[in-house]
Amino acid sequence: MTFIVSTKQQVKLIITVSVLVGLISNLVRSDAISWVAEPIKVVKNVNDVLLTLSEPEIREIDLGMAKSLHKKGLLFVDARAEEYLSDGMIPDAIANDDVGLLSEQIEYLIGYEKGFVIYCSDDDCGSSEELAYELQDFGYMNIFVFKGGWKSWTNAGLEIEIHD
Amino acid sequence: MIKLHPWLIVLIRILLGIIFIYASYDKILDPGKFARDIANYHIIPMGFENLIALIIPWLELFIGIGLVAGLMVDGASMISGGLMALFILFIFQATLRGFNIECGCGLKEGEMVGWNKILENLVFLGASYLVWHRQQKLFELFPKTPLSD
Repeated sequence: MTFIVSTKQQVKLIITVSVLVGLISNLVRSDAISWVAEPIKVVKNVNDVLLTLSEPEIREIDLGMAKSLHKKGLLFVDARAEEYLSDGMIPDAIANDDVGLLSEQIEYLIGYEKGFVIYCSDDDCGSSEELAYELQDFGYMNIFVFKGGWKSWTNAGLEIEIHD
Repeated sequence: MIKLHPWLIVLIRILLGIIFIYASYDKILDPGKFARDIANYHIIPMGFENLIALIIPWLELFIGIGLVAGLMVDGASMISGGLMALFILFIFQATLRGFNIECGCGLKEGEMVGWNKILENLVFLGASYLVWHRQQKLFELFPKTPLSD
């Protein structure tokens, strides 16, 4: 085993084994991910939102679409951490740090088939997408991630709701 | 430079290894979530975050095992230092850009990026350096060293 005595050889061996195991494990696991990440589909047409889906989907919407969907009465879910909620929320939005309880709330309000919108603080926050995937695992079929979230909503001067 | 007792370096090595093994666990179980955490840093081009999310957790696991069991400690500590430097760069740029994102570090659910995470990783980087730069190779199984010398 003298062939892996030097640091450089050890580094090469550890990295090679990690790459192989990582790739092979993805080939055999039931919840494999794609080799290259695909961007989330963007919805441009309101009619697409109202379609009944046969496969669960997470799609992205911008501020204009978020405004339209809010007017149409779609449920909004705030994915920001609790400490940020005192700044206000999009009117009628719901929030819960416990994803299990949040899921129960959504199921009670709209069921599993109907679409709803998730938002977080801004373009880069990521927690809306994270929550969307968690809720998809609960069985929700039609989830929209509002890119821009709270920041673009408030920058546009749209109505907000402040809870005590 | 401060000289630490060789057995203290062994303890640091084992603790660092345990941290790596622990950090790898959730990422190996759910590479999809780890890939999304990486994507939130907005630094990886062309969707490569998935490939990275498949490889990094196993790298962490193997260097963790190496550090705990004393297997290829030179290589494991060097990669550990490299990973820490990389993580610090990722978190640093996200903090400067004002991102309010989960760090995806794997130590605690919901930890956000920020200066405290940079400091934490600097400590781990220092620990990696101490292990890599150790004067005596104690309690290492491969390459084989005496229990003490």
